[in-house]
Amino acid sequence: MQRNKTYNRKKIMLIFVAICAVSLLLGGRLVYLMVFCSEYYGQKAENLHERERDIKAARGKIIDATGTVLATNRTVCTISVIHSQLEDKEKVIQVLCKELGLSEETVRKRVEKVSAIERVKSNVDKETGDKIRSYNLAGVKVDEDYKRYYPYDSLASKVLGFTGGDNQGIIGLEVKYEEYLKGINGKILTLTDARGVEIENAGERRAEPVDGYNLHISLDYNIQMYAQQAALKVLESKEADSVSVIVMNPQNGEIMAMVNVPEFNLNDPFTLNNIEKQEIEGQEEQEEGTQSQETSAGEMTEEKKQELLNQMWRNQCINDTYEPGSTFKIITASAALEQKVVSLSDSFFCPGYKMVEDRRIRCHKVAGHGAEDFTQGIMNSCNPVFIELGLRLGIDHMYHYFEQFGLLSKTHIDLPGEAATIMHKKENMGQVELATVSFGQSFQITPIQLATTVSSLINGGNRVTPHFGVSIRDSQGNLIKELEYDTQKDIVSPETSQTLRSLLEKVVSEGSGKKAYIEGFSIGGKTATSQTLPRSAHRYISSFIGFSPAENPQVLALVIINNPQGVYYGGTIAAPVVQEIFSNILPYLGIEREALLEEKEGEKSQIEE
Amino acid sequence: MKEKRVRYYDYSLLFIVIFLVCFGLVVLYSTSSYNGQVKFGDAAYYLKKQVFAAGLGLAAMLVVSRIDYHFWKPFWLLAYVTAFGLCTLVLFKGEEIKGSRRWLEIGPLSMQPSEVAKIAIIIFLATIICKMPKKMGKLSTIVKVMVMVLPMVVIVAVENLSTAIIILGIAIALVFVSSPKYMQFVVMGGLVVAVGAVFILAASYRMDRLKIWLEPEKYEKGYQTLQGLYAIGSGGLFGKGLGASMQKLGFVPEAQNDMIFSIICEELGLFGAICVILLFLLLIWRFMVIANNAPDLYGALIVTGVMAHMAIQVILNIAVVTNSIPNTGISLPFISYGGTSILFLLAEMGLALSVSRGIKFDMD
Repeated sequence: MQRNKTYNRKKIMLIFVAICAVSLLLGGRLVYLMVFCSEYYGQKAENLHERERDIKAARGKIIDATGTVLATNRTVCTISVIHSQLEDKEKVIQVLCKELGLSEETVRKRVEKVSAIERVKSNVDKETGDKIRSYNLAGVKVDEDYKRYYPYDSLASKVLGFTGGDNQGIIGLEVKYEEYLKGINGKILTLTDARGVEIENAGERRAEPVDGYNLHISLDYNIQMYAQQAALKVLESKEADSVSVIVMNPQNGEIMAMVNVPEFNLNDPFTLNNIEKQEIEGQEEQEEGTQSQETSAGEMTEEKKQELLNQMWRNQCINDTYEPGSTFKIITASAALEQKVVSLSDSFFCPGYKMVEDRRIRCHKVAGHGAEDFTQGIMNSCNPVFIELGLRLGIDHMYHYFEQFGLLSKTHIDLPGEAATIMHKKENMGQVELATVSFGQSFQITPIQLATTVSSLINGGNRVTPHFGVSIRDSQGNLIKELEYDTQKDIVSPETSQTLRSLLEKVVSEGSGKKAYIEGFSIGGKTATSQTLPRSAHRYISSFIGFSPAENPQVLALVIINNPQGVYYGGTIAAPVVQEIFSNILPYLGIEREALLEEKEGEKSQIEE
Repeated sequence: MKEKRVRYYDYSLLFIVIFLVCFGLVVLYSTSSYNGQVKFGDAAYYLKKQVFAAGLGLAAMLVVSRIDYHFWKPFWLLAYVTAFGLCTLVLFKGEEIKGSRRWLEIGPLSMQPSEVAKIAIIIFLATIICKMPKKMGKLSTIVKVMVMVLPMVVIVAVENLSTAIIILGIAIALVFVSSPKYMQFVVMGGLVVAVGAVFILAASYRMDRLKIWLEPEKYEKGYQTLQGLYAIGSGGLFGKGLGASMQKLGFVPEAQNDMIFSIICEELGLFGAICVILLFLLLIWRFMVIANNAPDLYGALIVTGVMAHMAIQVILNIAVVTNSIPNTGISLPFISYGGTSILFLLAEMGLALSVSRGIKFDMD
């Protein structure tokens, strides 16, 4: 028998020592991994295990001046099936077919698909969702979700705007006040295994959603309705392309109504409205005539549809500019009065045209207004009078007042996409340009710019910022933030402002704006008829801007009728629209028929005499 | 002074082994219940099979420990030839699981011949070294012994490189212990390293393994390694608690097999992992004591073989799981799932216990 010798023992010992040494190294490696890299690997592992699910926050409401909710949320349901939990597939298919109104084929495909979770239908009414839930079918999941809902469909569509699939604002106030309205989505963190199956009873972490704040706006549902009705009436009767109405408070810039007919349905913003459709059909027909048969009437390219949708969503009051025409004479008059280059009694003569350098610029009355003073000139809306005013002011002063009145900058209304003024560069302006600018041609501004500038001139000279947003409140109505806007004081003197108001009152009571007159109310205003470019198309824009009471304006309205058929004079077709709106809203706003009282008093005094 | 001869039995070893087996079963159940539930609809699927194999193994251990280890001496050639035959057979008749033919079907049971090869090589080498202890100092003898082992290493390496490395390691350890010299082994060690380097560079897929080892996050095949590291890292000092591992839920693939140590780290933390390593060191320490006190060289060599086997397998496994060396499939003794493995490991423990019974020492 072989003995176990000393060198054998020594070597065994050596092996043992070596094993211990290697074990020590591995222990060190473990310490490194589990102490120093623990956070790094632990975090990575956690990211792998955790699944995050959003809980949608309810978007804030948009509430008008009367407390009417114009934009709110509706609970909708998403119906899904979880394949691994399904028990009675046939019953599930049968129930879902019946309740969701889907074909059996579609439902069967979804139910029988082997996937973790399969969505059958989303945006299902809450009632239907509740009904499906009441069947208590294993493997059928009903998730509730919010969807933006506009109770009045198309009311003020281009002002309110709408939201997209993720409930984010796309146009209008919805996008402007996104940060207040959207709220903060909550989260549920759950643990899942490698297949993505949630682990039951694993403590889930929850972050509760914070609902969005409500936006309170100055828009008044009733005034908006009146204005919209009046606009639709004239849109139809004059077969116009579009009609825009702005009703605002000239003292503080709060907008009470903004109508752009045709409006679109906010609850279905991706469907083109009727008038656009006719246009498309017309275009398609033309295309078919010239091109191949490929373009069928029902189909159109995505790009083209998007373009038409963008067109439909445009807020013409803000996004588009136009030549204001004669309504701009209010501004020229203010500048001339402020600069004291004209007094009310100055006399003018209108032969029906005025020569500026070598150009003969015509008055709208070809025969001419003859001899007239400045008051009559503005009542007649006589072009040569205002050309004369412009020439008296000169380019420097004209430009100076343009700037002082705020016409060169944007109004900073709280709606996205405001268009800038398109104006001659000062160095490019000659006498002819000066003359045309004086009566509102050869440059372009937005309707909101005109309404705001006139508001500022008649309110005593304070340049206001037009706006809808008044305050941000939480769902209980507690004030979160009062929205404030800049006012630029003394853009004209109070005297000029007062003179202007009385001049404009005369325009309505005795001049070209007669059709806006309402017995018993003092109304100031100015008409305009402008021709769009190119002039050869003979397309017109007729407009009227009016305010009341004339002495202390509380409400101002601007009506713009785009491409009316037949008679197109602003005084004839736009002024009655303002008259109709005012006759409805002046009593509503609590403006009394003071003039009537005066008249009665007058009668009394006559009797006494 | 009166001399009294006492028969020795290493109860410490026995208890360590039983403790390891029980601990292994608990960890295995914790680790495999998810996979068992997902694949077979039975959370205890793996546990049941392992309990069966462990029971069989414990019985085998007790029986073997009662048999004088010299009983196995005449079977040295038979053991070698049988193991070699089985390893050859498995290449042709083996059941293919995940691209490797490693299992032989015997009736309702299946076994891994490479596990048999390890124990066979221990008995084979212990016997032949004992036949020529005087010549072990010569280089030629060492070469002769290694040449005899080589066919077995090669046949195993075809399908299972890691087991081949273990067999080679056992052989080197036995030759090292039986030789009185040192220098030869330093040279041999250098030679092994050189051959190993050539071996790795020869095939591009082995190079890839090296790259994955260095930067597991950059390669898709580093997934298993990386998941193991996530598990280890998320354990921290004291772990998430037994049963609370997240990584075993399908993230670490086949967590109950080679990667089980990473789940131990995740559930029991650094503390638990160090305890497991210490437990294995304790076991190896007992082997050393038995080998040093063995009545003869044959017994000493057998226990040295067992010790080398245990040490190499534990060290390589932990090194792979902690990404200290490139990935290769080696299971953790007593803890990883594998019926054949635990059965033959316990039989080996029986051998060591049997040697311990031969220890005679004087007592007052």
